[in-house]
Amino acid sequence: MKIKVRLFAALHELLGQREVTLEVSEGATIDDLRDRLVEEHPVVRKFVPVLVWAVNEEYVPSEHRLRDGDEVALIPPISGG
Amino acid sequence: MFEVSSEPLNPQRLMNFVRKDESGAVALFYGVVRNNNQGRRVQYLEYDAYPGMAVKKMREVAEEVRARWPITEMGMMHRMGRVEVGEAALLVAVSSPHRREAFEACQYAVDRVKEIVPIWKKEVGEGGEMWVEGHPVSPPETAAPSP
Repeated sequence: MKIKVRLFAALHELLGQREVTLEVSEGATIDDLRDRLVEEHPVVRKFVPVLVWAVNEEYVPSEHRLRDGDEVALIPPISGG
Repeated sequence: MFEVSSEPLNPQRLMNFVRKDESGAVALFYGVVRNNNQGRRVQYLEYDAYPGMAVKKMREVAEEVRARWPITEMGMMHRMGRVEVGEAALLVAVSSPHRREAFEACQYAVDRVKEIVPIWKKEVGEGGEMWVEGHPVSPPETAAPSP
């Protein structure tokens, strides 16, 4: 399945796009998606340890299982306010 | 009232919303852009946000507040895009029957916004621009059970 991942802040600037589309197999988890992201965009690798994932506007742990049509976002450390 | 907006924030509108006839106090946090940070001169800030999730997390903060203090009403507004020195970036307003709850709840809410609401700021000023090193969000320990 194809998963669109929304990018913000430094990640948006780093990859020069607002979202990336990654192909993962059915039943893939966030861990699988992260591996796929790093394969396709190695420049992201050093940021991965501080990134948190959100699925359908909720923070999720790395074993979270993805479903077709999920809205996925990569959340760098936040600095609002 | 929970908003993420590219327009200048209007504190009066937010306070009018949270003030009720049973409120004896309205605490307003008026967070503004300052001209320096960690010894660097700041010209302006550029905010990026995940607007839908930001509003969702603001509502969660409000639920946490309501579970802790008997407030009357509350609301929050966060600015997006370029924000000049002196302009408001974050407004949090809380009304309650008495001042103590309003002050405490407002401070708690501002702290939580900085911990869980997905918004980012970039400083532009002396020596170029840089994304502010933020607060890493803690993901839940385990997955929520699937329905």
